Amino acid sequence: MTRNTTATRRAFLKGGVLLAAPIGAASVSGIALADGALQERVSQLEDEAAIRTLHHSWLRQINCGECEARLDAAVRRISVDHAAAPERIELALDHRSAVGHFECAVEFATPLAKDSTLAQMAHAQGHGVLRRTERRALTVSYGKADGRWTIMQVRVG
Amino acid sequence: MSGTPYPKKPMHRFAYTKLTREQISAKLGAVAEHGPKSLSPLATDFAGQSLRIITDTGPALSYRFASNSKLSVAENGGKAVNAGFGALETDNFCFLTHMIPGSQRGYVVVVDRKSKLATVIELWFSGYEDNREVQRQIYFGYVDGGEAAPKERHEVTNRLAGRGYHWRQDTGMETLEYYPSSAYSHFVELSRTGGELGYCAPSDYVKLDNDFFLYTRTECEFSGTFTAYVIDMNRTQQLGVRLGFDENDELHYDLFRGHGDIVGQIAHFEKFEDNSGNPVPGPKDKDGKPVKGGRAVYRPLKTMEKLTPEEVDKIVKDHSAAFPARVTTGGAAGMSANALPASDYLAGKTFTVRYDHGPVMEYKVDAADELNWRRDGKGDWIKARYQSYEVAPGLILFGHLLEGAPNHDGHIVAADFHQGLVTCYNGYLNTPYFANEAGARTLFGVLEMDGVQPPLYRRHGRTTEMLGRCITYSYAPGLVSMHLYSTPNTVSWIIFTPDQHGGLEWSGPGDFVKIRDGIYFMYWLEEACNGTLGTILLNLNIMHDAGIGYNCGARGLNMSAIGAIVRHAGKFDVDKYFQIKT
Repeated sequence: MTRNTTATRRAFLKGGVLLAAPIGAASVSGIALADGALQERVSQLEDEAAIRTLHHSWLRQINCGECEARLDAAVRRISVDHAAAPERIELALDHRSAVGHFECAVEFATPLAKDSTLAQMAHAQGHGVLRRTERRALTVSYGKADGRWTIMQVRVG
Repeated sequence: MSGTPYPKKPMHRFAYTKLTREQISAKLGAVAEHGPKSLSPLATDFAGQSLRIITDTGPALSYRFASNSKLSVAENGGKAVNAGFGALETDNFCFLTHMIPGSQRGYVVVVDRKSKLATVIELWFSGYEDNREVQRQIYFGYVDGGEAAPKERHEVTNRLAGRGYHWRQDTGMETLEYYPSSAYSHFVELSRTGGELGYCAPSDYVKLDNDFFLYTRTECEFSGTFTAYVIDMNRTQQLGVRLGFDENDELHYDLFRGHGDIVGQIAHFEKFEDNSGNPVPGPKDKDGKPVKGGRAVYRPLKTMEKLTPEEVDKIVKDHSAAFPARVTTGGAAGMSANALPASDYLAGKTFTVRYDHGPVMEYKVDAADELNWRRDGKGDWIKARYQSYEVAPGLILFGHLLEGAPNHDGHIVAADFHQGLVTCYNGYLNTPYFANEAGARTLFGVLEMDGVQPPLYRRHGRTTEMLGRCITYSYAPGLVSMHLYSTPNTVSWIIFTPDQHGGLEWSGPGDFVKIRDGIYFMYWLEEACNGTLGTILLNLNIMHDAGIGYNCGARGLNMSAIGAIVRHAGKFDVDKYFQIKT
């Protein structure tokens, strides 16, 4: 079972206001209930923040040419598509796994096969790679062990 | 000798001597002492003058001139050495050159007396595995007159891209020179080889100012000769130098002046604000710094697969493929991403192609990809895989391999079912230099079929209508070239960089046949390259072609589709430099 959360600053403030609002007027049991919900919410926000930090670090590594093994070898660069839907992180109830959805611009570089003279000449002048950028949805699976989030799988949709 | 001086061999077939360092030094000694020859008067008034040039990344050169042909030069404040030199001048530009005695090095120096800017080209032999190939490194700088150094510099540029010239030098040398790339150029030696074939060479293009440019080329893969000249863009004049060993190993170190004509200016495709040059940077060392003299050179003979007749026989027997399934990236199949769709026009048809002084080919076509052929009415019918393309209504390009032919022939046929005319490019192997290198013969003939009455006398004919044209071919994303039809028998191809600069260039012999108005059947042979026979039936009415490639390499004999969306980049007006217009 997963729970959808929205990771915008507005959603964070809105949740905080909603959670904070009942505290002053609540009964003892109500306070305890709210306390647990608050704890859960704080934990959720901490996990999301950790995942987001991990994601940004991973993007930097991809764009520096590292971590290629996690992706299609043709992927050269991934940029956040700010014009697309906001990122979405689905956190499992046990807080031990999560799935992130990110709309991105993905740059692919596909080497031209060298079995024509034109392609060989393109390689000879250092341009034997076909580059293209496409809007793609990244689906990233995360796992948490020993208090640390790690990337388990990345799919480029 | 009277008549056109056609060479016995094209330049790419010469077996140039692998000169040793000692052989080169022995011949350089005298010219370093005396300086270059010049048929035109040398520039004067050098006696007693001195000149100091500072370059940004290269040497500081301090000259003292004893006369108009003797100087002393000190490099980087070192000991001065005496050398012969020669200089030519035009307007405010001085072009001087000398060698360094006791070495295999020398310089070309271009000084702008008005702006005080200078371009220095350092030259040397024995810098590549083939010692005779002249190496060059260009430095930009200025004349040090004691005042503050100017901020401007001469610069590499694409401003000459697309230009073509006819040059006639005081040496008697007459050439057509095309600059379709900012990294390469294409030259046709009209006086020396009759202009039958054009050749390609890596080149530099330097803007001196808006009226004068500097051009160089090194005949890599050929004699290794270096040429540099300043172009006076307004008067269409040149002054420059040639340095190198010819095919008889004679050393030439000649200053020259020349007069020219602009033969055309074709389009180039960089962004409008992009006037940069050197689009194909040379190699870098382990620290990421450019290697001195390094440049991108296409050396196709080194990488070409070379097979013996026995190897060809075996590989054709085991691995022959006609029209393998298309793939989306790379390779000859990659050159079909933009191809016209295969046609079923021939399916179910029975017809005969009767070539003049050639074979009679009978066809019974079973399907859109399978036919049966028989030659000269003899023997069994042979089944073959084929593909066809309807390039214009009733005009079909089709090709198939001729299984069992001793030279592993393939027929690539432009068949006009409206006019009953046929032209075939007959590819074959077992050619004299490398057995897997394709040769081609052009066959003209007629098509006989129920409902088609072929003409008695009329045939398709060779044409010069494509001469001088430049056509871009977009085969697939990332796979774009431009053809330059530089002579009636030459196809040159230029590869573009990702930002649409012309890059590496090569060329080979070709043939051109007019099929209908605006429709031309052409081939090129990648001789001493990959050995491929490339054919295209180009329809300028729809700006698209259909083509078929025929190639044999270590992976087998292959016939495959090629095809591109085309653009017309322009035409050089060079008809008058060739003897026959058809």
